[in-house]
Amino acid sequence: MPMKVAKATFAMLTIIFLVAPLIAILPLAFTSSVILTYPIPSWSLRWFEELFFADAWRRAIFNSLIIGTGTTLLATALGTAASLGLRNRLVLFRGSMRTLFLLPMVVPAVVLGVGMQVLLAGFGLTNSYIGVIIAHTVVAVPFVVVSVTGALAGIDERVELAAQSLGASPARVFRRITLPLAMPGVLSGAVLAFATSLDEVVLTLFVAGPNQRTLARQMFSSIRENISPAIAAAAFLFIAGTVLIGLVVVVSRSIMAERR
Amino acid sequence: MAEFIRFDRITKFYGPLCVVENLDLGIGKGEFVSLLGPSGSGKTTLLMMLAGFEQPTAGEILLDGTAINAVPTYKRDMGVVFQSYALFPHMSVGDNIAFPLQMRGIGKAGIDERVKRALDMVQLSTLSDRRPSQLSGGQQQRVALARALVFEPRVVLMDEPLGALDKQLREQMQLDIRDLHRRLGLTIVFVTHDQSEALTMSDRVAVFNQGKIEQIGTPRQVYDEPATRFVAEFIGETNLVEGVVETVQGAEATVRLPSGAQIVSAVSGSIASGQSVFLSIRPERVDLSETRSEGRNVLETEVTDSVYQGDHLRVQLHNATHPLIAKLGRRSREFPPGTKVFAAFSAGDCRVIAP
Amino acid sequence: MSAASSRTGRSLLLLAPLLFFLIGFFVWPLFSMMSQSVSDPAVLRLLPRSAEVLADWDRNSPPTIPMQTALMKDLKAVNDDQALGDMVRRLNSARSGFRTLMGKTTSALKETANPPVDLVSIDKRWEKPEFWLAIADALSPYTDRNLLAAVDLGRNAAGDIEHLPPDQSVNGVILMRTFWIAALVTFACVCIGFPYAIIAASLDGWKRDLMLGAVLLPLWTSLLVRTAAWFILLQEQGLINDLLRAIGLIDAPLALIFNRTGVIIAMTHVLLPFMVLPIYSVLITIPKNLMPAAASLGAHPLRAFLRVLLPLSLRGVASGALLVFISAIGYYITPALIGGPSDQMISSIIAFYATGSANWGMAGALGVVLLVATLLLYSVYARLSSDEVGGR
Repeated sequence: MPMKVAKATFAMLTIIFLVAPLIAILPLAFTSSVILTYPIPSWSLRWFEELFFADAWRRAIFNSLIIGTGTTLLATALGTAASLGLRNRLVLFRGSMRTLFLLPMVVPAVVLGVGMQVLLAGFGLTNSYIGVIIAHTVVAVPFVVVSVTGALAGIDERVELAAQSLGASPARVFRRITLPLAMPGVLSGAVLAFATSLDEVVLTLFVAGPNQRTLARQMFSSIRENISPAIAAAAFLFIAGTVLIGLVVVVSRSIMAERR
Repeated sequence: MAEFIRFDRITKFYGPLCVVENLDLGIGKGEFVSLLGPSGSGKTTLLMMLAGFEQPTAGEILLDGTAINAVPTYKRDMGVVFQSYALFPHMSVGDNIAFPLQMRGIGKAGIDERVKRALDMVQLSTLSDRRPSQLSGGQQQRVALARALVFEPRVVLMDEPLGALDKQLREQMQLDIRDLHRRLGLTIVFVTHDQSEALTMSDRVAVFNQGKIEQIGTPRQVYDEPATRFVAEFIGETNLVEGVVETVQGAEATVRLPSGAQIVSAVSGSIASGQSVFLSIRPERVDLSETRSEGRNVLETEVTDSVYQGDHLRVQLHNATHPLIAKLGRRSREFPPGTKVFAAFSAGDCRVIAP
Repeated sequence: MSAASSRTGRSLLLLAPLLFFLIGFFVWPLFSMMSQSVSDPAVLRLLPRSAEVLADWDRNSPPTIPMQTALMKDLKAVNDDQALGDMVRRLNSARSGFRTLMGKTTSALKETANPPVDLVSIDKRWEKPEFWLAIADALSPYTDRNLLAAVDLGRNAAGDIEHLPPDQSVNGVILMRTFWIAALVTFACVCIGFPYAIIAASLDGWKRDLMLGAVLLPLWTSLLVRTAAWFILLQEQGLINDLLRAIGLIDAPLALIFNRTGVIIAMTHVLLPFMVLPIYSVLITIPKNLMPAAASLGAHPLRAFLRVLLPLSLRGVASGALLVFISAIGYYITPALIGGPSDQMISSIIAFYATGSANWGMAGALGVVLLVATLLLYSVYARLSSDEVGGR
């Protein structure tokens, strides 16, 4: 029995360690005080107001949305196409290409940032949305590739062969069989790409100009220089945003499943 | 029967491994041919090449006189039923069956009518809106069948379609498929490793071994007149006894066994005196009695074991140098171990096979 | 056969966009960073003629007239103050005294009224080979200075590699510190994560889902948010201190932020999922009946753990540990926000060299060190995970 109690206690403590910080920070978004401590004197939405009306924050949210959307579109397109290409076992250097596609996840962002800043400066892209989108796409693409290749692997190859035997040309097989079956993976990948872009600080530090400050970048400076509950409000938005998108994906997936 | 499908010197290599070797096979229109053999014998590969999923390394495949090697799968107009059903998981049963008709540009009214007919044919009319995941294995198999037949293909290919079903269901489906074959006059190429299934359903059986066809014939021919040792052992059960040919007289030969006994046997193919051969004797053709009978081959044996199998009695015997198995009808008497009996069989029940 | 090759052609067409994109925006930046670490054009750019002439010099004899003329011509041609400053800095770091020497020389050369005949007349120091040696060495477009400096090595006057003096040996300290912090974090993650994964794998139903959910939730949350949460919690008047004081465990607030403790706590929290998930995924492939079988054969639970469960799960632990370590050495945000000045890890230094002091050479060199370490560790990790699949 003591073993069981010990196990349960350890598990509970670890769960608290994992989850509590996230839960603890959220209510502080609604504090009326200027200081980030408990107890909360009274509830207020002033920090959300600050987020949406203070210039710096508003710009940051706007930039994050633009860059996030751009990154999602680019990464999803590139990653999905590449995952489809990787299915063909006859392609030379298939394994090496796959490793290359996943490497941006492994390489430290600072190292990549240094290189990218020099490169983008050479192209004159340092103070532009495109530059940041490109940088974010590089680190977001691995997530898309992993997600889509996972979904594609789950497709029974014989279903595609069956479709061919029933008269579907390769293009039709792709449109009516492969793509619909891979769609959940594509959507998950897109959500991950968006979340990655939203969260990207280090690369943004190197490649973004002052006009492309993202929400994450703004949060980072804010924590360093001028800590206020606005950060908690921003954190709340972050979490709410990711949860919302996740929900949208789940719901749309079940709608798609039912419609057929 | 003019050949509808012809495999002409087909060879297939996977890297250094030869899976099908210089194979010739002709299939007539409306014929039900089974490709029978153990795993890895090349039968499924041949089917895949016919469907267009694989390309032969050498040789031609002809359909109605035209070579189809270069024709892509989606233009071959063949219905394929897979062992794993391969139903489209994101479509309903009705949509699955409608798919080939949509590919052929048939209008909605036409599609609806044909889908309904196909579902009626496999007795699944009420399940049109279900998803494959909501169906049982047997139901999924019937949907796969309906989908492969709905567009009235020239040829139907089946790759061990009943392998995943339980015994009762499998036997029922065997009869259903045979029935469909008769009614619709389809040309069917059926791959299986189950010899009783092949014997039940086919017009002809092609027995595969290591990339070659060892024998092709009607079920009766491959069972009663096996041409090689492999066929004799693979189809049903048999007693294989070694011996040397003494004399050959037309369709019969006299073979001397190592024990000295002489057996008169029917002959498959050509053999010569002095040749070392095998004798194949089907167990159910062996009679046991305590007295020696005249006019037939008789071997003196002793019973080593006897097991009641419900529909027959299986008796293991030992004769001087080799074991024998006899299968007796359930009305036969018991033969306890140790009993000395005479095992008798006529020349026609026995076959000489060159090794 | 043509069907297969057109399929392959299609596949290549699908792969091409991402391939070229990554080659252009991932591989090339890394190469450019690596080339930055060995490039040294500050001097060569401004003194092309001197470069030509100095190529023939034997490095021993006193400076010749052609050498002096070439240098004078080059210096007169300089009109970019920024580049001049870079060059002077570069030369000065090789041999001190250049700053004053160059200043004197350039202003003397601007004299149009009474142009100097040669350099020696401007300053006697131009007579000696030492300053010319420094210029000659600095003229090569490539240098190993940065790479050596990254690991606290340098070349002495004779050209041999030796350790830099202690006041210049900062990088070694930082590298060691980075690896040490990463090791501590990895150790903490193993201590917490391994038992956690074992417990999770042994449970069923909602309990297992809860444990897994608790691990996946932080993973889904933004890193910045998690770090910000710890920033808030670890403050002197933060939640943790308040809580500990409320229960009466401590009297005065603990210093949990801007120091090593805070960094370790925060990084462990962030990286724990990367330890738990690999171990968990290995554990669930172990048949559930192995431990009961060991028990039926007479093994005490602890012995069964040591002889059965532990060896089988070791691969997962190794994968997880490598993953955590690789991530930890490259971390920037968490140490930057939670750590104090003596907790800065190598990524902060790289960022400082790049954005702070525009020393792309050092930034590149340290980047190379970090990249090489990361790739080496990753190849071990990849071998380990593929072994897992192949060995089954």
